[in-house]
This record gives sequence, C-alpha cells and structure tokens, in this order.
Amino acid sequence: MAEELAFARKASGLVRGLSMWDAFGVGFMNQGLTPSIVVLTSLGVGVYVGGNMIIAIVLSVILAGIGMPIVWGVLGGSMPRSGGEYIYNSRIIHPIIGIAESFGNAFVWIMWIYVLAPWVADPGFTMLAAFTGQQGLADWATQPYATFILATIANIIGFCFVVFGLKIFARAQKIVMFIGIGSVIVLTLVLTFKAGGFPDAWNAIAAENDSLDYNAFIAAVEADYGGPLPTTWNWYDSLGVMVAASWAFAYAYCMAFIAGEVKRPDKTIILANLFAVLVPGVFCLWTAFALYQLDFNFLSAAFYADNMENYAWSIEGFNLPYSSNYIGLAFIMEPQAWLGVIYSVGYMAFALWWVTLSYLAFPRIIFAWGMDRMGPKWFTDISPRFASPVKNHILCFVLGQIGIALYVFWTNSPLQGLAVTGLEVVTVFGVTAISALLFPYVKKARGIWDASPYRNWKLLGIPVITIGAIVDLVYLGILFVFFFIMPDLRDFTTTGIIFYACVWLAGIAWYFFWKQRSAAVGVDSSMTYGELPPE
Amino acid sequence: MIKLFFVTDIHGSNVCYRKFLNALPIYGVDTAVLLGDLTGKVLVPLVEKGNDTWECTLMGQHRLIETQEQLAEIKKITENAGYYWVHQSREEFDETRADPAKIDALFKQLVLARVQEWLDLADERLEGKPFQMFMAPGNDDWFVIDDMIDAAKLVHPCDRRMVDLEGHEMITSSASNPTPWDTPREMSEEDLEKHLYELCGLVKNYETAIFNFHVPPHGYSLDLCPKLDENLTMAADEKIHAGSIGAKKVIEQYQPLLGLHGHIHESRGAQKAGRTLLINPGSEYSEGILKGALIMLDKKKIKDYVFTSG
Repeated sequence: MAEELAFARKASGLVRGLSMWDAFGVGFMNQGLTPSIVVLTSLGVGVYVGGNMIIAIVLSVILAGIGMPIVWGVLGGSMPRSGGEYIYNSRIIHPIIGIAESFGNAFVWIMWIYVLAPWVADPGFTMLAAFTGQQGLADWATQPYATFILATIANIIGFCFVVFGLKIFARAQKIVMFIGIGSVIVLTLVLTFKAGGFPDAWNAIAAENDSLDYNAFIAAVEADYGGPLPTTWNWYDSLGVMVAASWAFAYAYCMAFIAGEVKRPDKTIILANLFAVLVPGVFCLWTAFALYQLDFNFLSAAFYADNMENYAWSIEGFNLPYSSNYIGLAFIMEPQAWLGVIYSVGYMAFALWWVTLSYLAFPRIIFAWGMDRMGPKWFTDISPRFASPVKNHILCFVLGQIGIALYVFWTNSPLQGLAVTGLEVVTVFGVTAISALLFPYVKKARGIWDASPYRNWKLLGIPVITIGAIVDLVYLGILFVFFFIMPDLRDFTTTGIIFYACVWLAGIAWYFFWKQRSAAVGVDSSMTYGELPPE
Repeated sequence: MIKLFFVTDIHGSNVCYRKFLNALPIYGVDTAVLLGDLTGKVLVPLVEKGNDTWECTLMGQHRLIETQEQLAEIKKITENAGYYWVHQSREEFDETRADPAKIDALFKQLVLARVQEWLDLADERLEGKPFQMFMAPGNDDWFVIDDMIDAAKLVHPCDRRMVDLEGHEMITSSASNPTPWDTPREMSEEDLEKHLYELCGLVKNYETAIFNFHVPPHGYSLDLCPKLDENLTMAADEKIHAGSIGAKKVIEQYQPLLGLHGHIHESRGAQKAGRTLLINPGSEYSEGILKGALIMLDKKKIKDYVFTSG
C-alpha cells in the first residue's frame, strides 16, 4: 500500500455516501436478470426464431460493455449530480433537447411501472400458482381485474421501498438481489444438469395434461408460423435478438440517478456500470449454453409460442399449466413445486425491483427540473421526516396507477415492454450517446470538459469518451435498425414513433412554458445551464 | 427589487471562488454574499524525489510527478479542489508529519495566504462595479481570517453584525452547533441559541429581515446529512438532522423574510418555515462546481429564487 503523502485537518462537511457496491446494486438490479432472460428468449428468439443467443449475448456484452460504461461513467463522473442524463444533455447539447429527452425518460420510467407491475402478476404470480398446482389461482391472476389488483400491490410495495428514504431501499435491495441471484443460480443449474432426455420429460407432462407431445407441439407452432422453424441460426436473426437482449445489458445507466451521492464518482460509476453489464452477461451466456442442449427448432417453437397473445395457450392443443418460456422449460426438466417457487419468486423479485427503481429515477428527474426552474417549486420539496421527495413519489405512484389501469384494461401486450425500450433507444440512450460524442468538442461545455477527470484519457489521440460513444452508437444503431426499419417489429413500433414524437413535443412545450414563467418574475432560467468561466 | 446571489461552503476552491466573482456580472447580481466555510481541509506536500521529480497523494491516489507540466497540472487540480500544496524535501515532510503543531502552522500559513489572495482578487474585480459583496466565515474557519476580511478594501464583512441590504436588515452568524470534528467556531446549543438571540436583537424589522446563519435550523430538509458511525464513516443509507435547535427557535419565533444557510453540503434546497423561506444552495466545491442561489427580493417579499450551478 502506498504511503499517504497528505495532511488533513479536522473539518466538517462530508458529502458522498454511496459505495461502488450500492451503485452496482442499482445498475445490476435494473438489468432485471430473470425477466430479462425471459425477454431475451421469448421476445428475442420468439420474434427472430433463427437467432443465436450466444452471438447476440456476446455482441451485446462487448458493445454495451464498452459503450455504456464509458458514456454513462464519463458523463456521470464529469457531472456527478443526481438528475440523470438530463444534466448532461441540457449542458452539452441544449436545454430544449435536455428537457425534451428527459420528458421522454420521465415517461419511460412511468411506462416501466405500468408494464412491469402487471408482469409481477402475470406471468410472475401465475407461474407461482401453476408450479404449485394452484391452477384456479393461476387462472384468476390472468383476469384483468386480478392483474390490476396484484399490479397495484406491486406498485404500492415499490413506492414504500423508496418513499421512506434510502435506508429501507438499500436494505431491501440487498435482500431482493440475494433472492434474485439465488433463484437464477438454481434455475440455471437445473437447465444445465437436467436437460438430458428433455423430449421424454415434455411428453410425460403433456400426457398428464392431455397436451401436445414434443413433436406435435413443434408441428403446431410451425403451422401457426407458416412454415418449418429453422434448425440452425443465421446472422440476421442473431442481430435481431440483440433488441430483446438489451434488457439485460443497457439498463445499468439507472445509477446515473444517484451519481450525486456516490463516493469517488469518477471511478465508481464507470466500474459499477461495467460490472453491471458483465455479471448479467455471465448468467445469460450460462443460460444460453444450457438451453442449447435442447433442439434448436424446439427452442424456437417454445419461445415463439410464449410470445403469442395468450402465451403458448394460443397454440391449439397446448394444455400445459404453464407457458413455454425458459422458466417453464426448466420446470418440465425437474417438476418439483419447491423449485417452481424459487423460480417464480425470483422472477417476481426482479420485476418488483424494476418498479421500485422507477421510484428512484422519476422523482429525481423532476427534482432536477425543479432545481433548474423547469417545473413547479414543489418538485424540489424534500420531506424532512423521510429525507426524500415524497410529493414526487406520490405523483409517480398516481401516474403509475393510471398507466397500470390503461395497460391492464386496454392493451395488455407484453410487447409494450419493447415499445418502452424503443423509446429509450431513441431518446435516452441515443441522445446521451451523442452528448458523449460531442462532450470534448463543444464550446459551451469546455469548462466542464477541462475540469473532467477523463480529459486526458485518450487512445491514439482520441478522447476515450468519443470512442465509447461511437461503440455505443454502433450498438444503438443495431437496435434502431431492428426496431424501426426491419419488418419484424416495424409495424409495432411505428405507432410508438408517433407517441415518442408527441412526448418530445410535450417536453419542448414544457420547456418554453417554464422559461416564460420564470422570465415573467425576472429569472433568466438559461443561466442555470450555462457554465461559469473559471478564469 | 434587488438580485441577491448567495454562495456557501466553497472550502478553499480557487476555481469556485473565481467562478463566484465571474458570476456577479453574468447573473446581473446587485448583492453577493459568500458565506463560509471559506477554507480547505487538505494539504498536499509535493515531496521531492530528486532529479526534478516529486511524489504526492492526491484524492487517495499516489502520484509520481516527472515533468514541470505535470507539476503545474497537479498544483492546479489541488487548488481547484480546495486543497493546499507545498514543496517539501523528504526530511521536511517527515519532520512535519511527526509534529502536529507543525502541520497546524503550515496549514494556517497556506490558508491565510489563499484568503488574502482571494480578497486581493475581489478588490481587483469589484473596483468600479455596481455590485457589492459580503463575506463571512463558517464554523470550519479559524478566527484569524476575520481580521483579514475586516481589513479588505471592497469586500464587506458581515459576521456577527447587522448590515443593511437596501432596506433588508441581514444578520450573519458563522457559528455552528457541535459537530463530530470539533471545529473552530462550534458552540454548545445553549450558547449558540444565546448568541443568535443577541444577533436578533440588532434587527428592527423582522418582516423584511434576512437571517444568514451558517448552520441551518434543525428538523428541516436543509439539514439532512448522512449519519456517521463512531469512526466518522458515513452510513450510505441513513440520514439524520444535523442543524441547530437554537437556529430553529429564533427563525420560528421571529419569522424573518429569508433564511440563508449552508454547512450541510448535500442538502441543497428551499423550504418554508412559516412565512420564512429557508435556502441552502449546497456545495460541490471539490468537483469545481459553484452551487448558488439567486434570490429576487422586493421590499417586503421574495419575488422568486432560482438555484444556480456553474
């Protein structure tokens, strides 16, 4: 250990308290491991049936593992404040872009509540009931009113974990993370060691439930698909699977919302972000290798079926009590109720924590707006009792509940989850990557760049953040192409684009409204975005 | 209407101080108040290794300095973070390290030099300008700097007195209630309360008054800070109120127009205490970010305020 060559005097005023572990926890939990693997398989391979999960995962880990930690780590370490990417984009590009993008992201976090809280109910709770033989309860949970009740409970729990302050949040996160990771390990061990003789296991359970046997199931799915399912992978579908794989690798950025509270943000954010990509990468790869012990065309059929409107039950003759997602396949390999409880509780824990993290992010986004006078003053109110922005949390809860009601009783499509990711790719990740690309070269941010601890980080004379931003943009470019240009998702995401444009326009209107309102009382709100010259 | 710019706790950061002075014309400020803590907490000896090389520990990292450019860079980073640097031979460093009194004396010498440098710079920048600037220390600052502020040409002192801001009477206290660090201007809660009541006695019109107390009142959102354990290590997840009960009493009793506070860097925000608007602009001095609050004051009311960050 190097000798300490510094003297410190007794003085008050410490600032930052969250450790690398805390930051990693926030980033990792926002990658939502078990549900993300369900998305990777059922929404990824389920759409791109010739996709190779291993290739999709490796490419995602390389691109997201380089691009995301550098973009979010360098920006977060250079501007270590807790308002997320709104701070970076408003300072580097323009306040209008910052607000419009942030408006989109605020929407995204509310959307995550109303998409993911229902997932706690279905498929989370329905799997738990089905795995334990409570079929009546499983059927009940799929009813819209039941899903609404269970999603509301999840929303209330998420609200309570955050509203009472970081102490409860941090402790609960450790417990949920333990449950989640433990569950994934058990699930993947079963997939690894019990995959042998899977067709026989499937046929045995199918016979018990008067369901399609292994070959009949594949044939039935192929009939719906309109032709034979691929028996091997292709590059196009493998790149397409990366869209869904992004759930496991692109979301560690959530830690940007606590950048103002972590110790040594210059190192913590970048490293925590990297580990929050690598750890899910290891689990995803392990899962993929384990799954590939099964026939390729069977996996395609199972995930295609699970991605249908009524899950695998959309296939005529499929009567198993649980759908053909990867958790269901693990249960077929070793059909023991206690294992089913572990799998489904782990799934629900991750989905619930996603909802909880919305309560970490949304209130901080609008808090940052309030501080910049881009919203009402009560956005900045901190409860002296709970040390948190309680009013913002309540607003988040109310908006989340409205969203849950609309989602459950109106749309209720798992693909809504991909719509949220599409919005994030365009608005949050894309705009922020462009900010990172421009950061070293923009005159208005020169003061911040000069003070940045990364200004001397260069590779072949090019700032590392520029390289990271390019890698990130390549990654996002692949996602963008498959979201918006390729035919598989295009029809679905076109509606989304109109919606995103409306959100952006609302954000721009919001900016001008508050700028005008501040000007009326003599405040030039643009001064809050400008950098002061240090010399 | 007057435009008041309030900044606090820059802790020796050269870059924050320069940004503060530059902000006055940029923000169109009428009156600026720079409240303590003004002085830094860390001294970085640049220890000679021979052959024009040095070593030091900066922000927890051991640094080897091999060129004059690197040396200039380290000095600049040190000053901007609010630290002080000094050239020392290995023998001088070992001698200083072995004697706490020598460390203290060296600290004082460097702290005073920087305060004087700041006051001289303010004289240079404020000459002939339409804004006025007030300065007061905080609980971390040694009493010796008061005389320097009192002697400044264009910077007005305001600690432990009442000053008039175009009709608004402002009283200022640099003191704080006890902290775990036993800092120079701490008082017991009883003594602090008495001291604040004495200051309040100087005010004639509380309705338009400004209470500029370094320590925020207890129990509001402006005094929340991480809980410390017996080793003064912060709990990441638990916050406590560290403000002064005496400050709370006088503010709630006299209900001034405005309360300006600092001390708790992480609790940037504004909150109402009855009719009093309490503001803590927070501090990110170690990152070179100047946090401030711009307050538009009418004769009898606060027209508006905005937090700044530059």
